[in-house]
Amino acid sequence: MKNKLIVNFSPHLHKDESVSKIMWMVVLSLLPVGAAGVFIFGLSALRVILLGVVSAVAAEGILQGITKRKITVFDGSAIITGLLLAYNLPPKVPFWFPIIGSFFAIAIGKQIFGGLGQNIFNPALVGRVFLMASWPKYMTTFIAPQNYDAVTSATPLALLKEGKLLEKFSYLDLFLGKRGGCIGEVCILALILGAVFLLLKGYISWHIPVTYIATTGVFAYIFGLKGLFTGDWLFHILTGGLILGAFFMATDYVTSPLTRKGQIIFGIGCGLITAIIRLWGGYPEGASYAILMMNAATPIIDRFTRNRIYGAR
Amino acid sequence: MKKYFQEFFKGIIRENPTFVLVLGLCPTLAVSLSVINGIGMGIAATFVLLGSNVIISLIRNIVPDRIRIPCFIVVIATFVTIVEMTMKAYSPVLDRALGIYVPLIVVNCIVLGRAEAYAQKAAVLNSFFDGLGMGIGFTLALILISAIREFLGAGKILGHTLIKGFTPAFMFSMPSGALLVIGLLLGFFNLLKERK
Amino acid sequence: MDAAQFLTIFISAVFIWNVILSRFLGLCSFIAISKETKPALAMSLAVMFVTTMSSLITWFIYRFLLIPFNLTYLRTISFILVIATFVQFVEMVIRKISPPMYRFFGIYLPLITVNCAVLGVAVLNSDMFFVNGQPVEGSFWYSLFQGVCVGLGYTLAMLLMSGIRERLELCAVPKSVKDFPLGFIIASIMSLSFLGFNGFRF
Repeated sequence: MKNKLIVNFSPHLHKDESVSKIMWMVVLSLLPVGAAGVFIFGLSALRVILLGVVSAVAAEGILQGITKRKITVFDGSAIITGLLLAYNLPPKVPFWFPIIGSFFAIAIGKQIFGGLGQNIFNPALVGRVFLMASWPKYMTTFIAPQNYDAVTSATPLALLKEGKLLEKFSYLDLFLGKRGGCIGEVCILALILGAVFLLLKGYISWHIPVTYIATTGVFAYIFGLKGLFTGDWLFHILTGGLILGAFFMATDYVTSPLTRKGQIIFGIGCGLITAIIRLWGGYPEGASYAILMMNAATPIIDRFTRNRIYGAR
Repeated sequence: MKKYFQEFFKGIIRENPTFVLVLGLCPTLAVSLSVINGIGMGIAATFVLLGSNVIISLIRNIVPDRIRIPCFIVVIATFVTIVEMTMKAYSPVLDRALGIYVPLIVVNCIVLGRAEAYAQKAAVLNSFFDGLGMGIGFTLALILISAIREFLGAGKILGHTLIKGFTPAFMFSMPSGALLVIGLLLGFFNLLKERK
Repeated sequence: MDAAQFLTIFISAVFIWNVILSRFLGLCSFIAISKETKPALAMSLAVMFVTTMSSLITWFIYRFLLIPFNLTYLRTISFILVIATFVQFVEMVIRKISPPMYRFFGIYLPLITVNCAVLGVAVLNSDMFFVNGQPVEGSFWYSLFQGVCVGLGYTLAMLLMSGIRERLELCAVPKSVKDFPLGFIIASIMSLSFLGFNGFRF
């Protein structure tokens, strides 16, 4: 007789919408970013996105098939992982790059933990740091925007790290995406559109993104290049993977804390680590690492911010 | 005789120091970058294991319990020094390749681990075979892990490039890669065990 | 002796160059004892005690014995003997205070002796805070503090790992990767994420 007692693992979502529908809405919110990326970087970006998504879905299907688990590729989560991984890649990577990245992300970032809801780390970011550690050259070669002949160009943060940042980026340029960078991180406008959609529909809450972005901004302001309290906080907010990470990856239900208090701690932690790596670390951008580190801390954060059960001492 | 064979054999599979007992990880991560280093380190560690297990088993009734750990360390350190000097004399190439990891056999958990868990309680011949089995199990684990890491991380095995045009994944040359390889291998072995 | 140096030591030892996740020392007990938070914290406390006290004693040995008598090549073995003695002492104490905990640690308690983290911090102290055979200003306090901080870094890694593994206990992970294999894979991902601190320059 089948066990009638179902012990479900968090997140316990109390909405009348299924988890799957929410994920498809997230996919929807990510489409403007992809469109912008293709518009800015050309067809190579489209190739990366398609390969990333198809590989992620294929990986999940194959792994679930081999291990005789239920095939859940149509719940949208593999597509989200594929999209996010592709958005974290530069446009001109070899064709096998997003394929291997997606496979790694789904296999090691998600399925090996038992599948959806049980992973500790954001799968797309697991894939990204794997690619970065294994083939750094491909992950740090960027092309200039709207230049479909693929002239290489460095990202604003990379220029900043090397001390070669001249005054050539206006805030409007940064906001619209007229700069080198990863496919899904450059067009802030498209990112904000998707984020606002998710916020209005209540699929994500403002706590993590706002605390994350604010912390990075404040920290960058305080520890500016020309002395204390002279930092260019707007530059830091608009560059790198901060907006993409804060709204679409740090907010993942499964890998972030359950309580509001925990989420604020999570956001602050991400913000601090991102800022510290940007300012003093070896890499120009630290958002992926920051989020993964805070993913690791999430179980402990949850443990210590548990809501007290009424009547307990 | 069969009993001795059992003591020897358990170190290879059932109680493999790397995969089952989770010992000796630090040198494993560092040395398993290439197969030749893995073999060299494994053989050196086996010698030390043999020597220390036998001596500690011989003196096990003399050593007071309250100072046993420092005593074991002295024994182990002596054998490591012997191995180190032998290696410097007869195989300077290997000695240079293994570098600091030979003296670090002193802190290899496997050696003290077997002394604590086995040699101080068992007869000499048993301890000898236990040490031999553990050492060979460790060596085999090193060979397996370094074969995978050398191939994926540098595209070679034993220094020879196998497939042309294969850009190696640098992560496997890093400790993170080693941890991943060990974890996946362990999972694979468990899977085989289940299927049996 | 200035406060900035203490701050640097703290941040380096605990976060940037975390002894387990960045330096990969002390992995055996990390993977083996981190399944539940209480034993993990107890082990961390024991390790921190040993790193602190051995930092203290090895400093004296290095300063007043090894350097003056030109015996610095005996550094490794003399440090290990100091550590071994201390671990023996800790083992006796734990055996008395909490026999169940003692039995639970099993072999990993005496193995703190060869925990690379402990030897590592002692060696690190003598490398960092002695120049040309002379202790730098404040060397003793920096060494002692670094011993404490390495212990804290160990504790941080253990805490993170035990939180993760406790949570995974409630999940239906594939049977073949339960416990140790998944522990290794989590350690792999955690150390990948700590790569973010590479190349740090204050």
